[in-house]
Amino acid sequence: MRQHVRLPLMAFAAVLTVALVPVWVCAAESAASPKPAEILVYPPDVQLTTARDRQSLIVQARYTDGITRDVTTDAKFTLVDSKLARFDKQTLYPVADGSTKVDIEYAGLKVTLPVSVKSAKVTPAISFKLDVMPVFMKSGCNMGSCHGSARGKDGFRLSLFGFDPDGDYQRLTRELSGRRINLAIPEESLLIQKALGAVPHTGGKRFEAGCEMYQTLMTWLKAGAVPDPGEVPKVVALEIYPKGAVLDGKGATQRLSVRAKYADGTDRDVTTLAYYMTNNDVSAAVAQEGVVTAGARGEAFIMARFSTYTVGSQFIVLPKGLKFEFPKVIENNYIDTHVNAKLKKLRIQPSPVCGDEEFLRRVTVDVTGTLPTVDEYNRFMKDASPDKRKKVVDDLLTRKEFVEIWLMKWAELLQIRTNQNISTKSMLSYYTWLQNKIASNVPMDVMVQELLGSQGGTFANPATNYYQNETDTLKTAENVAQVFMGMRIQCSQCHNHPFDRWTMDDYYGFAAFFSQIGRKPSEDPRELIVFNSGGGDVRHPVGGRVMQPKFLGGEVPDVAGKDRRDILAKWLASPKNPYFAKNLANIVWAHFFGRGIIQEVDDVRVSNPAVNAELLDELGTKFTEYHYDFKRLVKDICASRTYQLSTEVNPTNVDDHRNFAHAELRRMRAEVMLDCISQATDTKNKFPGLPLGARAVQVADGNTSTYFLTTFGRATRGTACSCEVRVEPNLSQALHLLNGDSSNSKIHEGKVVRRRLEEKKSPESILEELYVRCLCRRPTAREKGALTALLAENSNKRQVLEDTFWALLNSREFLFNH
Amino acid sequence: MRHMLRSIGLVSLGLGIALCGAAVAPAASPSLGVILPRGLQRGATSVLTFQGGNLADAKEILFFSPGFEVTKLEPSAGAVKATIKVAKDCRLGEHVAHVRTATGLTEYRTFYVGPFKDVAEKEPNSDFKAPQPIPMNVTVSGVIQTEDVDYFVVDAKKGQRISAEIEGMRLGVTMFDPYIAILDSKRFELITADDSPLLKQDALASILAPADGKYIIQVRESSYGGDGNCYYRLHVGNFPRPIAVYPAGGKLGEEVEVRFLGDPTGDIVKKVKLPAKPVPDFGLIPEDATGTAPSEIPFRLSQTGNVLEKEPNDSLKDASPAELPKAINGILQKPGDIDYFRFKAKKGETYEVECFGRRIRSAIDPVMVLYNAAGGAILANDDARGPDSYFRFAVPADGEYFLSVTDHLKRGGPGFVYRVEFLPVEPKVTTGLPQVARYSQFRQQIYVARGNRFGAVISAGRENFGGELLLDPQNMPAGIKMIADPMPANASTMPVVFEAAKDAPLSGKLVDLRARHIDPKQKISGGFFNHAEFVIAAPGQSLFSWCDVDRMAVAVLDELPYTLEIVEPKVPLVQSGLMQLKIRAHRKPGFTEPINVQVPFLPPGVGGVPAVDIPKGQNEVLFPLNANGGAEIKKWKIFALGSATVNGGAAWASSQMASLEIAAPYIQFNIQRAAVEQGQKTDLVCGITVAHPFDGAAKVQVLGFPPKVTAPELELKKDSKELVFKVATDKTSPAGTHKNIFCQATIIEHGEPIVHYVGGTELRIDQPLPAPAKPVAAVAKKEAPKAAAAPKRLTRLEQLRLDAKEKSQAATK
Repeated sequence: MRQHVRLPLMAFAAVLTVALVPVWVCAAESAASPKPAEILVYPPDVQLTTARDRQSLIVQARYTDGITRDVTTDAKFTLVDSKLARFDKQTLYPVADGSTKVDIEYAGLKVTLPVSVKSAKVTPAISFKLDVMPVFMKSGCNMGSCHGSARGKDGFRLSLFGFDPDGDYQRLTRELSGRRINLAIPEESLLIQKALGAVPHTGGKRFEAGCEMYQTLMTWLKAGAVPDPGEVPKVVALEIYPKGAVLDGKGATQRLSVRAKYADGTDRDVTTLAYYMTNNDVSAAVAQEGVVTAGARGEAFIMARFSTYTVGSQFIVLPKGLKFEFPKVIENNYIDTHVNAKLKKLRIQPSPVCGDEEFLRRVTVDVTGTLPTVDEYNRFMKDASPDKRKKVVDDLLTRKEFVEIWLMKWAELLQIRTNQNISTKSMLSYYTWLQNKIASNVPMDVMVQELLGSQGGTFANPATNYYQNETDTLKTAENVAQVFMGMRIQCSQCHNHPFDRWTMDDYYGFAAFFSQIGRKPSEDPRELIVFNSGGGDVRHPVGGRVMQPKFLGGEVPDVAGKDRRDILAKWLASPKNPYFAKNLANIVWAHFFGRGIIQEVDDVRVSNPAVNAELLDELGTKFTEYHYDFKRLVKDICASRTYQLSTEVNPTNVDDHRNFAHAELRRMRAEVMLDCISQATDTKNKFPGLPLGARAVQVADGNTSTYFLTTFGRATRGTACSCEVRVEPNLSQALHLLNGDSSNSKIHEGKVVRRRLEEKKSPESILEELYVRCLCRRPTAREKGALTALLAENSNKRQVLEDTFWALLNSREFLFNH
Repeated sequence: MRHMLRSIGLVSLGLGIALCGAAVAPAASPSLGVILPRGLQRGATSVLTFQGGNLADAKEILFFSPGFEVTKLEPSAGAVKATIKVAKDCRLGEHVAHVRTATGLTEYRTFYVGPFKDVAEKEPNSDFKAPQPIPMNVTVSGVIQTEDVDYFVVDAKKGQRISAEIEGMRLGVTMFDPYIAILDSKRFELITADDSPLLKQDALASILAPADGKYIIQVRESSYGGDGNCYYRLHVGNFPRPIAVYPAGGKLGEEVEVRFLGDPTGDIVKKVKLPAKPVPDFGLIPEDATGTAPSEIPFRLSQTGNVLEKEPNDSLKDASPAELPKAINGILQKPGDIDYFRFKAKKGETYEVECFGRRIRSAIDPVMVLYNAAGGAILANDDARGPDSYFRFAVPADGEYFLSVTDHLKRGGPGFVYRVEFLPVEPKVTTGLPQVARYSQFRQQIYVARGNRFGAVISAGRENFGGELLLDPQNMPAGIKMIADPMPANASTMPVVFEAAKDAPLSGKLVDLRARHIDPKQKISGGFFNHAEFVIAAPGQSLFSWCDVDRMAVAVLDELPYTLEIVEPKVPLVQSGLMQLKIRAHRKPGFTEPINVQVPFLPPGVGGVPAVDIPKGQNEVLFPLNANGGAEIKKWKIFALGSATVNGGAAWASSQMASLEIAAPYIQFNIQRAAVEQGQKTDLVCGITVAHPFDGAAKVQVLGFPPKVTAPELELKKDSKELVFKVATDKTSPAGTHKNIFCQATIIEHGEPIVHYVGGTELRIDQPLPAPAKPVAAVAKKEAPKAAAAPKRLTRLEQLRLDAKEKSQAATK
């Protein structure tokens, strides 16, 4: 053990962390003008159908500085033909059939909306599915914690979030001999009594007598609680208004309007029936009446759920009267344009561009998982050409190590590991197949199509191992959605997805693509042949109907006589699938920024929106334009100013970790860190099942690990979830590096210092080399001074240098990419 | 890794010495483990080491194929070094050899002949940055140790072909599935190869160098496994390495034009003169101006000519014309390709329609469908012959028929060659030596000591015919005689004894043990076939490497210090009977070792013990035989095979071929069922039928009684009609129904016992009833003397009826 000079050096190690020097200069601007730049009225048109219909309107004023204000109550509404409809509290009600217009005026600005009224004299009967079911949702009856639980609650079960209305009708009206409803005295129905809290109810009082929901239930009961006579129109779209808002200071409010569109072409104002959620209560809280109230500075996504749809709207809350000016910065490409646009909205200034040394280390670690060598460092630092950063990226992209980093990431997504179905040979062939695809720059869409449509022997065409790794039809479908579309559809196996649009029909329709996978033995007894068996279906658990294969969020294709997987693969990895390109682009982005534009990258859902949708859209578009050549995407990312920002923060971006306003400190992944330590110390690794000297990123089997890799969070590839890789630092990691055999014994084993001393290099030059080896920079004057003094004091130069080496390997500056 | 090979050799050498003690006298039962290096070069003289045990008296290497001349043989206990001159025209690929010693024959093992000079692998070569440099067109002999990777580097010019082919699993030593890759100097794989349809688990790779420079060939086990037995031969050069030949067959004696497909430089077209007579496992070696591929592509030799497909033939209407019985040849050119053929056939004709795809190592997994003239499918098959397809087509009516061939996975490409042969339904016969020990060639050779005998069980497989067979060995070593009866029509195995004259020269031959139909008009004959399993591995006990041969090794050995004799029994073994077969050893003075004796062939329905020992110094042993009731009545031939340790190895000798008669039982017993209360006595009555008269008296005893039940032995006179055993029980005799009670009757004839097991009944032992009600007991007691007085013995049923009657009478009183 090395104890003698440990303390001073440990203290010194702290000096090596990146200094964060604020260089922020605040800009000031005059207050927002009282006259809005424009007024926005929602919804854009009004269609009133039947006497029970209505439509609430909202008016939003937008000012030149981007601030919005809810001016609905202050606006003046004028109906051109007042015989057709009437106004009550900014809501239009039908009076007579016909078409007209409504003028809305505020602060001298005027907007006109078309209004049409149909069947104004017709009052349709209350429908169980259209009217009663939404009451259960809005009042929370069918939530998982209440009657929506798999076993119901207190003896009464409703389908979770209403995935089975027919079953719900049955249970409500037929179970326990119809005890839950009383058609003779509807008010006395248990359903009503419980909801009003008139009798003991675990869920307490859900609504008031006389309210709209109460009226709906009562009308339906009075009419005999009859089932719907036939199919009712389904909701096909849901709209939430306003589309976005920038609220000025705590307490500012904005009301919402939600409109559902039905398959029969009608629409309905469901503002009072929608269930509201926010993903950031602190910045913007939303009341169930549909009013958002601003809180602390920040961003929030406000969502409304109705039927199987969830829609959202972006809200930004700023401190009241904030003065702000965006600095003039060069935009290297479209990435910077979109990032800066978002930052402008948020009144955040980006950090300055990082230095050459920082850039070289950052990009080398990110692109190749290795540290820049001393030679590379010297060459780069001497290079005076203005495009030297681009040149270094171009060079790094041609290296095998670049391939291996992405091979590792894909191996995680495809769960390459041995298990009872997959032998070491299969696993390695699968890995080699993937390597060939990435190394030969096969476009991602082609690769994914080959993978998903694969058939043949698990050795002969190793892509088929995808279907050997997971042989369960439903799980295969879930994995495909998660990996290639970033969607976790598991919820909808048992009920319609509560935070996304996916229904059980979508789930089983998607799973039907994987229902005809045949498997037969091959000539080699270890191999299995995966093929299209041409038979087999997936049935819906409610009712047992055979599900036609249906793209997730897409059409029902013609699969007759074809390999269903082939059809799916061709759609999935194509521009027709709106999620594919964006999802892959997001995965690539997350690698370089430590965080996705949608975070987590495999949790794409309505309720987890992109922090910068425009950026993600354009990345997806570019990726498609590049014919899914992700090297070009990497080039764009590395060329952007955003990627090259410093980790230094300013007062406006210090708290922001979502919008890429500064570079983040990112702990290196387990494999990369071990490889970098080995590279810096000139040592070789030995992993089970691999020859001596294999790099950690080359470990093909998810089941192979070492103490180091496990401690630092290597993925076991047991699931397709991106959450398997852990990059959070923890105590055991720190202790392992300080005391374990990864740094200390590798320093001894590699003999870097000893060899340099034998080569008669001066201790000072060795010191410098160690700094460049580990940190890609020369020591600062202060560091140099302190260490030269130590060297002068101590006759055992090797000891001092090796201790310095140890301290460097343990410094945060080494362990983090910055 | 040559030093490793040597150290392994030393280990087996050590074992060999341990086995034969001072290694002075050569030991019998030699064995052959591996031949190293695993191959040699054609047209050169090199040394092969045959490693095994008990090899000190090695005399000869028996090669199954021509082209080898052993110029020097240096035997030691654990290995034989043979200096071998390989002919220039020696066939490339696998060759097979036994080692013959003065006292035995080893199992056969394989080695390979290649076109290139041998270069030894030199460690360290496991670092990509420091590969072992090799010239082009060499064969590297190497070993993959655990998690080992071997790198070799060659120089190549732009556009030059770099080919690599590895022999690993084919070498048949251990479970070694090799992987190769050709990489550029930046570590990018230009081509990787693991398994291939042509070479199964072995790999081949061939590319054109994209630029002048160094190219690195990587070799490893496909799962980074490996051990000291993972030998490989890596051929590296600029030789052509196509993956298929088209057409993949032709007519015997004709010249055909073939195209070798799949080489990176393009197809190679050649004219080939085919042999006039069938050659087993025939193949063609691809060659061009730059060199010779190291292994063959299988090629079918047929009695008929070829029909080649004419594209487009992707539909019934475009079907290529064919005429039976010519073989149809085609290639599935591209993914999704399907080939149709049309031909005429006559009612009454029957064809074995065999699609050769994977069997000629093509990549295809064929699916064959046969259609009638209207396009309706009548026959279809996918995997009847492994991945290949087969059906028997009995033509239902005169007319036109169609055949389609496609790939099960709708694949296609240059390697997807197929050949459909329309073969007549022919009788076929093969002979063999069935395995005695699992996964081993133990006793699958014939080794006969001078003046001694050796016996074996020979099997025969018949297809499409029945009838008796005659064995007709060809090319036997001088002085050896085979003794065998014709093989009965209902048998598939039979005993055979080989006898060597006292003066037979010590020699060995590979003998085609032919069998032919006993009726010479039938003209049905076939030869020998043996299948040796070399590599068995997971999953289950799967077979990965094996070697089939068409001849049986026969050798004359040094004299042995003992012979065996079966003392022919004078009486038959009866069905459901027992016999103690006497086996006698004749020892040379001074030879006292125990002799282990077995009777390898037993007639159907006859059982025996696995083996008995003639103890040290003794000369006789009884070998118990038993026959079941269904044993076939006939005079059979049997032999006894003995082994004794001679000079530290097992030396084998068999008895003469002796007769064993199976006969019907002389007597039959009909034993009545009996019941008795614990502690009481009862009679066991046996009715006797004499089927075969005999003299004197037979001793009969009852067998199968439970404990505490006895009956005295009785004598059976030749005219007895009945025997009554007085059965005594004890209060503790186990209660219950005891089945399987029978009699052993021993009849003496010609002074020898004929043991019969006859009868078969059950004895019920009841627990005494609780004290019976008095009146009933009184009545019963009264009646008892009456019953005893009755001259007639009541059957059990009659007794029960009487009891019931008495009880009812007692009740009415």
